[in-house]
Amino acid sequence: MIPALVTEWSKLARATLVRTTTALLVIGIALMCSSMLLAVNTTDAGLAAKLGPLIDPGGWEGYLATAAQVTAAAALLGFGVVLSWMFGREFTDGAITGLFALPIRRSTIALAKLTVYAVWCAGSSVALLAALLLAGVIFGLGPIPLDLVPAAARQVGLAVLTGAIAVPVAWVATLARSIIAGIGAVIGILVAAQVAVISGAGGWFTLSAPGLWAASGGADVSGIQLLLVLPLAALAVVLTTVSWQRLELNR
Amino acid sequence: MAELAIEARSVERMFDETAGVRGVDIDVEQGEVHALVGLNGAGKSTLMRLLLGMLRPRSGSVRILGRSIAETDWGSVGHLVEYPLAYGELTVRRNLELGARLHRIPARRIPAVVENIVRDFALEPSVNRPSRKLSLGNRQRLGLASALQHDPRVIVLDEPTNALDPNGVILLRERLLASVARGAGVLVSSHHLDEVARIANRISVLNHGRIIGSLDPKGIDIERSFFELVHDDDGARVSAPGSGECAA
Repeated sequence: MIPALVTEWSKLARATLVRTTTALLVIGIALMCSSMLLAVNTTDAGLAAKLGPLIDPGGWEGYLATAAQVTAAAALLGFGVVLSWMFGREFTDGAITGLFALPIRRSTIALAKLTVYAVWCAGSSVALLAALLLAGVIFGLGPIPLDLVPAAARQVGLAVLTGAIAVPVAWVATLARSIIAGIGAVIGILVAAQVAVISGAGGWFTLSAPGLWAASGGADVSGIQLLLVLPLAALAVVLTTVSWQRLELNR
Repeated sequence: MAELAIEARSVERMFDETAGVRGVDIDVEQGEVHALVGLNGAGKSTLMRLLLGMLRPRSGSVRILGRSIAETDWGSVGHLVEYPLAYGELTVRRNLELGARLHRIPARRIPAVVENIVRDFALEPSVNRPSRKLSLGNRQRLGLASALQHDPRVIVLDEPTNALDPNGVILLRERLLASVARGAGVLVSSHHLDEVARIANRISVLNHGRIIGSLDPKGIDIERSFFELVHDDDGARVSAPGSGECAA
């Protein structure tokens, strides 16, 4: 497992796509949310309504609630793009033939990819919280209150769970042998989650549960509804590793 | 008698009525180069994929050093089929280090192994460059270096001289002959009959998914003999409709 982990980490750490996506995820989301703080003193009722939780309840609590809404969509896109690249790239650049006839099983290589993805996902989630807090301070929210800890933990939890609901993308990219197909799957998950929220099925629709949970401060989604993310991700992990082990280069 | 490096019996995998390989028997002994020649689409790459577990045969069997595909010690095998195992964002050195790790070379030996293969393929000027910036020829050298650096006992190379300059061809030839001298069995496919004749102990001709004969590597006009075999086989299939034609 260690050679595969080292290989996958080396590729991830040196890839321009991953570096760019990480920067957009961490700095981009933090700047997007914090820049909205500049408009909270508006006298325009229409604009104030659009700012939602940034106005009411406002402050750090409203700021992180807004960050949760942005993270649920933007992080899903970012995580999905990287995951799709990780599992589709060898098919696109032809290096997949080199991953056969090795003393390391392809299922091990797939598991190494997912492990490296999980570490990167967790690291990006923590970095995003740090960037959000720093940007909040810089944009005038004042000192970080101690009672912000639950909301901050929810922000990290949301990002990690968003990474988990993106895992089926790895399976799609593997089956289709295509990075683009994986990105298509991310967009599909994003659209399905939004439709579920609008139709009121959000809590029980696993793909939208983490976003609803964080944005509502934990009020609108139960623990059981949230935990359903885990079997979904586990199933995707199993399907992806089995698909890699049974892979044939027949097209 | 030493076990065969590669032993395939009645291997068959058709993709449709016309493409694939049909009932192929082929052996590669340890300490020999067995060359596979054929026109484009004859089934050379498909056969190599079957031998390396990239495709599963619908019937027949493949054994590597006496073991079935499922039980093969793949650390003893080196291959390059179509595309090098090289990642564009990584340097030549890093690609080789990772290739060595994936072939289970102990970490303490990797620096020496990489230095050795870099020297053998004259990759020193490129060793710290990302592989995406390499010329096609140097990228092929990198792929060959990654396939051969762990001194495999079984070597499978599909069109290994593609994109290589004359110097690269000579470096590859020397490295392969050194491997053979240590007892490795080599299966190599090529379009270049003269190049094949320089290193091969045996040459098999593949046409429309079947082995149709062999060529004498020391023959006087090997190209003429090749085309005669292919022409006769094509003629025989045309005159015997339903005899299992399989053009790729």
